[in-house]
Amino acid sequence: MSAEWITPAVLVLTLAPLLAAGVSLLVASSRWLHVANLASMGALVVAETLIARSVVARGPVTALGELVYIDALSSLILFIIGTVGLACSLYMRSYMDEQVARGVIAPRRLNVFFCLFHLFVFAMVAATIANSLGVQWVAIEGTTLATTFLIAFWRRRESLEAGWKYLILCSVGISLALFGVVLMYYSSVRVLADAGAGLNITQLQQVAGELDPHILKLAFIFLFVGYGTKVGLAPMHSWLPDAYTEAPAPVAAMLAGVLETVAVYAILRSRGIADQALSPEFTGALLALFGLASFAIAALFLLLQHNYKRLLAYSSIEHMGLAMVGFGVGGAVGTFGGLFHLLNHALAKSLAFFAAGNIHRRYRSVEISEIHGLATVLPGSAAALLISGLALAALPPFALFASELQILTALGSWGLPGDWGRSGPSGPLILLLLCSLVAFASLLIRITGMVWGRAPETVAHGEPWSTGHLSLVLPAALLAVLCWALPGPLERLLQTATSILIHR
Amino acid sequence: MSWLTPELGAHLIDLGSAMLLLTCFAIVAQRRLSACVDLFAVQSLCLAMTAAFVAFLTGTKHIYLAAALTVVVKAVIIPRVLRRVIERLNVTRELVMNVNVPASLLICAGLVMVAFFITQPIIPFGHILTRDSLAIALAIVLIGFFTMIARQKAVTQLIAFLVMENGLFLGATAATYGMPLVVELGVFFDVLVAALIAGIYTNRLQDAFDSVDTSRLSELKE
Repeated sequence: MSAEWITPAVLVLTLAPLLAAGVSLLVASSRWLHVANLASMGALVVAETLIARSVVARGPVTALGELVYIDALSSLILFIIGTVGLACSLYMRSYMDEQVARGVIAPRRLNVFFCLFHLFVFAMVAATIANSLGVQWVAIEGTTLATTFLIAFWRRRESLEAGWKYLILCSVGISLALFGVVLMYYSSVRVLADAGAGLNITQLQQVAGELDPHILKLAFIFLFVGYGTKVGLAPMHSWLPDAYTEAPAPVAAMLAGVLETVAVYAILRSRGIADQALSPEFTGALLALFGLASFAIAALFLLLQHNYKRLLAYSSIEHMGLAMVGFGVGGAVGTFGGLFHLLNHALAKSLAFFAAGNIHRRYRSVEISEIHGLATVLPGSAAALLISGLALAALPPFALFASELQILTALGSWGLPGDWGRSGPSGPLILLLLCSLVAFASLLIRITGMVWGRAPETVAHGEPWSTGHLSLVLPAALLAVLCWALPGPLERLLQTATSILIHR
Repeated sequence: MSWLTPELGAHLIDLGSAMLLLTCFAIVAQRRLSACVDLFAVQSLCLAMTAAFVAFLTGTKHIYLAAALTVVVKAVIIPRVLRRVIERLNVTRELVMNVNVPASLLICAGLVMVAFFITQPIIPFGHILTRDSLAIALAIVLIGFFTMIARQKAVTQLIAFLVMENGLFLGATAATYGMPLVVELGVFFDVLVAALIAGIYTNRLQDAFDSVDTSRLSELKE
């Protein structure tokens, strides 16, 4: 693809969700809502594929007068947004229509739902392609504002509580990130001649070595804590299980699969700048320690859960922690493993939440103890839940096994960064292995208990094939394939993104 | 203007920043919700004046725009929304406090010291005019953060969040003479929408729980 196609592709990327949001408010029938949804997601996937190909072949691009900057790392995140988003659109058809048919929501509110959903997608795309760290912050706060009513969409007391908690905790957390952005600007205006571009990634990367290390250290800590709240790293994770439990299943899939990934991306972006002025050990140790803590805490909380959506939520915290350990340890293996883990986790977690949504609709319960005999009641969703469960427990033949192995290899070979690694890699490695054993056991015991056993008499049996099932087949197939064979273009994309992150 | 030396300008900006900090303490000490809203409006006006003064001293035109927006959004629109919310909810006082007023004030004083301590190493790099403002901005952010934890009414938490935003804005204007315009506009937009959304929430919480006391929000537990 030649360079003049970049600008139209970027326009499609941003305008497709915005246009779909506008259309969603106007059309009356649910059929057209779904058409607009699928069309915008399809356009997004096509545009991002074209851009990714160009980026891998020719290097980073800027567009729209330096407002947009896309390199391999942002392309990878766009790829995750597109893939999970497309699966979500396929899933929403049957899910949302059933809610209307059952009278849970008025048909009119479907328009609001889709409008907010598209604005959410737009904010995530904007956060990924923004050249300015300030615009990135605005977009990430935008995701909070767009999703809070999606989480509270059922308007039950619990969902209102979850939505309020999410709004307040994330807004406050991310305010701290804004202070980090201010500090970053404080350091860069002293070096750059053109103050208007003082927050642009393209400019900051060039002068990062000259920035003041004291200011950058403080800036990175604020940015990390702020965006870390959005990722759901412990101890800032308390909003996350509530939000994932109360949100409608497709929203939970997007939150868990994509929004966390975008927040990680924001951390990695500022880390790329901070690392050039600070020693990489400082940022690496911060990432790895918070990652380890999140992994361990989430693994312990997995033991206590009796609600399957909360179980999946804690598993998200666990996997994000693991990816953070990968980025923290760094090197080619750790970083590659971390990025690959983000992709795999997005696929597995969206699959798991789609299955959980189907189960919730049929059994009308989120209690693990009330769900038995899924294999006879909902064979398709049972298979999906089992596959996602095995994948999330990092068992072969699913791709999370490969990425988790890479992260563990990196940790085992190099240990924690900086002073923390003095005592050798064995301590953290043993902690990680023990915690993953706990997580493995608690996930699989719960999931096998749900899949097999005697089905309750009160629940209807059988699951006819629908287009919604494509959303289960797509991530499951990808998870199985990616473990064995990474397609050439995707591998090049991952490798280019890795080389951006380990560039010193 | 020969009388307006940089030293005098720096003192005047410090004065504005100190006024902001003072209103922060007043908000922490105030139990009546409507008075908290008024104090927030006063604080926003102080912020706008400080920003306009920075714009005047440095000749940075776009800070005037930001100052005008501060007056419109934070001193007029948001306080009006909050007053309407308070009227509808029929709550006038913060009755339950996790931390009582004298202890809160002491903690806030400690937070101010922490803020000065943290920013000590980086203050010498700032512009001569506005050196201390960065520390004061961080202090305001920390006090807002603390107030969110220490108070339980949804309205008070919202005000505390807005106070944090004011602190951030002071930091951005005073320490760096304003961020790029597109970023500032985006931040204003986000704050306005966040305040409106939180206003809608307080209504819905009131309907669902018969209260906006967030300590009642305890249906979701492990």
